[in-house]
Amino acid sequence: MPAPAENFSLGQPVEIGKIDKELKKLWREGEGAMTRASLINLAIYSEKPGSLEKNTQLIFRITENHACRALVIGVDRESKENRVDAWINAHCHLTRAGSKQICSEQISFLLEGPCTKFLPSIVFSQLDSDLPLYLWWQDDFPDPMDPQLWAWVDRLIFDSQTWKNFSTQMRLVETAEQEAKQRIVLCDLNWTRLDKVRYAIAQFFDHPTSHHHFSKMESVEVHFASGFKSTAILLIGWLAAQLNWKTNQQEMNGSCRFLDTNKRKIDIELRERPGPPIGDVVLNSSEVRFCVKPAKCGDLLEICRSSESESAVPQMMPAQSNDPVDLMTQELLRGGPHRVYLRAVNAVRQLL
Amino acid sequence: MNRAADQTEVNPLREGLSTRAVPQPCSIVIFGATGDLTHRKLLPALYNLAADGELPPAVKVIGFARRPKSDDDFRKEMEDAVKNFSRQTVRDEIWKTFSQSIFYHQSDFADESGFKSLAERLDKIDKEHGTRGNRLFYFAVAPDQFEPILKHLKTAGLNEAKKGSWARVIVEKPFGTDLDSARELNRVISNSFSEDQTYRIDHFLGKETAQNILVLRFANAIFGPLWNRHYIDHIQITAAETLGVEGRAGYYETAGALRDMVQNHLLQLLCLIAMEAPVNLDADSIRDEKVKVVRALRHFAQSDVGANVVRGQYAEGAINGKPVPAYRAEEKVDSKSMTDTFVALHLNIDTWRWWNVPIYMRVGKRLPKSATEISVHFKKAPAVLFNKELSDQNVLVIRIQPDEGIALRMHAKVPGTSFHIEPVKMDFHYGTSFGKASPEAYERLLLDAMSGDATLFARRDEVEEAWAFIDIIENAWSQKKDAPPLCFYPAGSWGPDEADELLARDGRSWRRL
Repeated sequence: MPAPAENFSLGQPVEIGKIDKELKKLWREGEGAMTRASLINLAIYSEKPGSLEKNTQLIFRITENHACRALVIGVDRESKENRVDAWINAHCHLTRAGSKQICSEQISFLLEGPCTKFLPSIVFSQLDSDLPLYLWWQDDFPDPMDPQLWAWVDRLIFDSQTWKNFSTQMRLVETAEQEAKQRIVLCDLNWTRLDKVRYAIAQFFDHPTSHHHFSKMESVEVHFASGFKSTAILLIGWLAAQLNWKTNQQEMNGSCRFLDTNKRKIDIELRERPGPPIGDVVLNSSEVRFCVKPAKCGDLLEICRSSESESAVPQMMPAQSNDPVDLMTQELLRGGPHRVYLRAVNAVRQLL
Repeated sequence: MNRAADQTEVNPLREGLSTRAVPQPCSIVIFGATGDLTHRKLLPALYNLAADGELPPAVKVIGFARRPKSDDDFRKEMEDAVKNFSRQTVRDEIWKTFSQSIFYHQSDFADESGFKSLAERLDKIDKEHGTRGNRLFYFAVAPDQFEPILKHLKTAGLNEAKKGSWARVIVEKPFGTDLDSARELNRVISNSFSEDQTYRIDHFLGKETAQNILVLRFANAIFGPLWNRHYIDHIQITAAETLGVEGRAGYYETAGALRDMVQNHLLQLLCLIAMEAPVNLDADSIRDEKVKVVRALRHFAQSDVGANVVRGQYAEGAINGKPVPAYRAEEKVDSKSMTDTFVALHLNIDTWRWWNVPIYMRVGKRLPKSATEISVHFKKAPAVLFNKELSDQNVLVIRIQPDEGIALRMHAKVPGTSFHIEPVKMDFHYGTSFGKASPEAYERLLLDAMSGDATLFARRDEVEEAWAFIDIIENAWSQKKDAPPLCFYPAGSWGPDEADELLARDGRSWRRL
């Protein structure tokens, strides 16, 4: 029988060569009571000790909203022992109607020692055919990257917030993307982290009569939590890319300056403050102050615009949770290419 | 679907964030603010949009109704309604700010001064809340109230927007009760609002699966070559419900299933299934193609109605094992009522694509289960080789509600040494594949109206062409002499036997749901 709900164990150990057979057996035993579903192949790669168990928990939660075949891969390159272990498991959730169990299957691998170089062959032999492959790479990328692996990836998911060296890592993923002839969509969870804040800022300018503020922008202030400076810089990169600002002054103590197309100066202040990854964001045009800040309840944003002639009327919008499952769920829901992301990176590359 | 609606100047910060037209700040004035529709659908839909961050902050809701009450009274009443009917739990933090966007305006619909004071109030809201002179008037009232409301809106100058702003009106069905009344209603509306300001709401079109029909047909190359008379044997559309009239007898006695469901919802679904590919995704390009389908429906001679349309009424029976009374025994129903609670139709579309492909439709109350589905029955494979003894066809099923999804029935060999073939089903369920809940139809449609996207709203010519077709049937039924009979069926059955005979004489049968 497939594993019951909320089972975070790796499941049943299997021989690599018998995974297919054992999976069939697993489903045969559960037939009638549950439905296997899969929209994507979602592979998670990590070299952190204990990652298999941790990622199994994440997969359990992700599959609540995204049925997939999950391939959870734990790697220990330093091990002297040459070893490959595999497990199969299923994560089942009741549908919203509550009548049917929808199950996603998980295949877990632990690769140790020299055999880690066989990762592509191990992963690719276990893909659910005709479904796209999303690869969530949780560590820094190795240099050089294995071109054989990238050739099959449709969406490469990573979190640049965790990178030790942004420019080196970005160069590696961009090279991988080029080698795959731009077929890979780069999905940075650090960018996803900004979704709701970007949405909240964008809505200020939906009406064409607000567009004149773009050319009257004077300053932007962004508060960020410790460790999330790159997130704040990406936010500035987004504004710069979309509003055609160019860097004018390198960052110094959290301050920098951009010029708009009319050579007007826009001063940027990045300030570290305790709180969520991105805290208050304030855009000041010469007439109006546009403000987005986390509401006290934590999962909402309070947004308001104010000026001398206009009183501030705050409104609430959803905030982006920083939980990795929420970030992944958001990312998986979105689909499509992320062209704006690369433009945002290019606009602030030297600041990252 | 119309992504460019109203957005002559694109907000560069929206790129990549949103693939739909962005709703504009506006005041939404709901006429009939204390009614059932406002409580059950409109305010919960607006709250859900606000909670999901889809509603621009500068959207204000003004309830317009006769009963005297304050803004705070109305807000409290709406809070209760939203708590009861919203698809998501109401959060105090969100409700607190959202409720400040709700106002109440007390006036009789026939009182001209009430509309003048409404105009003043809307101007004040524009100044104080940035709604920018945009107005969306929602008619959640019976059609006989339309005329005084429209007249007074015009007198108060509210039908015309100021420069750079817009004024729109959303009208709920029924859009008339026959062609003459529909034309009259359209005339009344057009006296105050032009066609491009008028949004006739059909909530079936706001359903995810209804929208997916176009995606299925025009985003998948495999169906295009098969979607015609050469490969399709016939099409069935079923809208079944277990419910009876449930307190709507007053309305239902004057409408019946044909007017209540076929004229609008079912013909709209037929249009999506049968239309040609539009030249683009603009509202009018899609609606141009839809209206051609209704125009091409073969009109019956009155004498042919009995042979092609079955009208039924439920008698006493049982639903889910519980006895239920006959329609004529329901409260507020005439004991000799001739109202149709069931209709089955055999339609033909006289186009090159659909020539000689019968369309069978059935709709009914007190049927064994609630389901709305479209099934496309493909022609049988030549009766050689494996097919000598096969009677089944390939069937593509589009489930509109509940359990939205798509299924394809095909043949497969039963494993074993003998050669035995059985039908199998490939089944896609929205709920299984996509964990995310679909928004309610009203949420989508309200956003579309605020964005100026009329794709999912019925156009005047669609409505009138549909009535022109339906009137022939209604006229035949109302003949004193030789009117087709009203056939009775036990509640809990799949309709009268005559409905089965309608297909049986063509050598077909209704699909088992």
